[in-house]
Amino acid sequence: MEKVKLATSWLDACAGCEMSLLDVDEFIIDLAQAVEFTRSPITDIKEFPEVTVGLITGAIGNVDQEEEAKELRARCKILIVLGDCACFGGICAMRNAFSKEEVLRRAYIESESTKEGKIPSSPEIPALLEKAVPVDAVVKVDCFVPGCPPRAGDIKYALGELLQGRIPVLPSDMMRFD
Amino acid sequence: MAEKKEIKLTINSREARGKEGDTILDICRANDIYVPTLCHLEGLSVVGACRLCVVEIEGERRINPACTYPARDGLVVRTDTEQLEKYRRLMLELIFTERNHFCFFCAASGDCELQKLAYQYQMDHARYQYTFPTLPTDTLNDFLVVDHNRCILCGRCVRVCAEVVSSHTLSFANRGWRTMVVADLNQPLGESSCISCGACVQACPTGAIFSKTSAYRGRTNEGKIIRSLCSLCGMSCDIDVLIKDNNIVRIDGANLTRPKGQLCRKGRFEQVYREAPRIATPLVAAEGQTIKASSWEEAFELARRGIEAYRRRYGANSIAGFASSLCPTETLEAFAKLMRDTIGTSLVDTLDGSAYRTLTQGMSKFSKNGQGLETESPLESILKSDCIIVVGCNPLQSHPVAGCYMLQAQIHDRAQLVVIDWQQNSLGARADLWLRPNENGMGDLISALASMLNRRGKRSKQTQGAVSLASAALASGLDETLLEQAANMLAAAKKGVVVYGNGLWGKKDAACVRGVLELASLVHSNGPKAIALKPWGNSRGAWELGIASKDEVTDAKPKLVYLLLADQEFGGEDFVFRVAEQAEFLIVQASYTSPLTEVADVVLPSPIWAEREGTYISVDGKAGRSKRILEPLPGIKDDLEIFAQMTQRLQKRRPMLWKR
Repeated sequence: MEKVKLATSWLDACAGCEMSLLDVDEFIIDLAQAVEFTRSPITDIKEFPEVTVGLITGAIGNVDQEEEAKELRARCKILIVLGDCACFGGICAMRNAFSKEEVLRRAYIESESTKEGKIPSSPEIPALLEKAVPVDAVVKVDCFVPGCPPRAGDIKYALGELLQGRIPVLPSDMMRFD
Repeated sequence: MAEKKEIKLTINSREARGKEGDTILDICRANDIYVPTLCHLEGLSVVGACRLCVVEIEGERRINPACTYPARDGLVVRTDTEQLEKYRRLMLELIFTERNHFCFFCAASGDCELQKLAYQYQMDHARYQYTFPTLPTDTLNDFLVVDHNRCILCGRCVRVCAEVVSSHTLSFANRGWRTMVVADLNQPLGESSCISCGACVQACPTGAIFSKTSAYRGRTNEGKIIRSLCSLCGMSCDIDVLIKDNNIVRIDGANLTRPKGQLCRKGRFEQVYREAPRIATPLVAAEGQTIKASSWEEAFELARRGIEAYRRRYGANSIAGFASSLCPTETLEAFAKLMRDTIGTSLVDTLDGSAYRTLTQGMSKFSKNGQGLETESPLESILKSDCIIVVGCNPLQSHPVAGCYMLQAQIHDRAQLVVIDWQQNSLGARADLWLRPNENGMGDLISALASMLNRRGKRSKQTQGAVSLASAALASGLDETLLEQAANMLAAAKKGVVVYGNGLWGKKDAACVRGVLELASLVHSNGPKAIALKPWGNSRGAWELGIASKDEVTDAKPKLVYLLLADQEFGGEDFVFRVAEQAEFLIVQASYTSPLTEVADVVLPSPIWAEREGTYISVDGKAGRSKRILEPLPGIKDDLEIFAQMTQRLQKRRPMLWKR
């Protein structure tokens, strides 16, 4: 059987979701047999090829992440998002109580460990969006797996269902927002 | 009251029965038909704020909330259609996008009703744009945090504060999506009229109001809930204690919306844990040295040698025992037995003995057996009273739940609330009338009020000589017209009840207690009805058992003092300190270290309230049982076992004494 092509994208996130993905234990072997990981944190491929499944972790907080989400959406048939940040905004959205300027000033100038700080202004650094938003605020999402991070079992269930050709919705007893 | 007519409805194609006046939700609940709710809380009024309970009613143009819809005979209702479930999920999505609901660091996560419903409705994302409003968090109260980010405006806190606690501190400000729960006129909670009873914490379905003492200590499903009673102040409120890993996580009122289920600041928060260090091992003072840890054997022996030496040299009555009325009846009885029978002293008292003496002396005229407890009225009579007279105490501080009963009667049932107190009094500030005489004018003021009631045709068997208005005004420093106003108010009462407390026995003013009871007999057609708010959880029990002494024990100048302090907080009270200072040899049995344990010769560790069990007699004489909730710390013996071992050691040595 031909392998299903999967590309992942790690946006405004802490890596907890990726860790949880690795936490699926021996299912990772089944997964590797059924799925071809194209672009992912471990393959170092820069561009998204055309894939069946796109997987995003993290919210969208800057222009680069916005572009990357749109790019992946354009090149995948099914888009699944993992974690509270991607589903609801999560930790990243907590900065939304403040203006972009306040957030940058706090991080680069006022933080306790900073001496003579400066807000970076290089055009090579992607600009922050006014608010960090969930992925489905920018592109259409087909499947959501919330959790901070989602339990390995939730990810296994969701990917397992996708491999069976079904778009899953997590059952009530699996749902976790923490 | 006439029996309400039964009605029959068809709910989800099944017959469901209820009573006239029920709402559709009432009937669903009574017939085990599940309807999700958020803003509804059993015992509070219904407002239909959350719209989760929407149902389809045949003949109605649109869907309606079940909680506010009055049921009628013959209604055909559906609670479970696909359309309704769709609307319910929609409601949840609107709630989640309206404010900032971040579960991952919320203290309520795992115990949150909103979160549970989101799981149930598989709400893995929201289809609406998040508003991400910037909202404040109020952390200034000592025990409560209000995080408006998580507030869903269900109003359960507002209603419980108004309808049960009757403090009316919380309310809504502004309109529409700018609506906010505020305290008073938008004050921080810590600076408002809030009495920190925590009813709002218990009522809050989310993490919008949470307790500083319980946050992050554990979730309900990780622990075990034990029903017991709060033994702190003698209100004997029913509590549900959540424990996890032998620690108290949280204390809830057993039934928030019923009397004795609501709790107060002390019962809900201050009992969860205490900062003072526990005494984990016995301590003994070596000759001329500071007190240090020892074995039980060493401590028992030192105590025994001390007791025997003083008994031999000065006689058994050189030894006195004082017990805290925070101990259960069984412990108090065993302590009295040890002191009286084994040691042989007649000097046994409770730490609140002077309150007992003041009270019984004042009550004697109204009593057949000399204890006077027959003047005592049940606490619930406050709720049924038309005039509540509070003398020399502030129940909102000392017995907050009793204070709330008063506010409830005053605000909801239009009882008159009159406070007579010379001290600063937060209940006085809420009363219909606060008579604040000179510090020494209380007795005169009360006699004057009695005389004025006599002149208004109110008489009782105990009516005393008249006190003129002018002399009362002079003695109390109050205006004559104010006194007239008070007398008119009291004269109208038919079911008046008098509540009095620490201010009277603080001054050992038995005459004033007598005056108070006289006044009580004039304001109730079948009086006197009075409630003495006794100092500790089992004060009444100790008094009924006759453990509190009729005479002042300190007058006998005991040389060896055995102080059973248990987990009563030592606040440097004059009395306890005087006793300790006077003693040449001091044995302290206590749970926490304090200046007292520093000066003791022997310290025996005592379990705290949650580690012991026993009977408590409430302020109004009802027996209840406090359960053991926690395993005692390793090495801690039960108080009863300590007394048993002391008894054994003292008895074993007795023949030797006789030989001499």
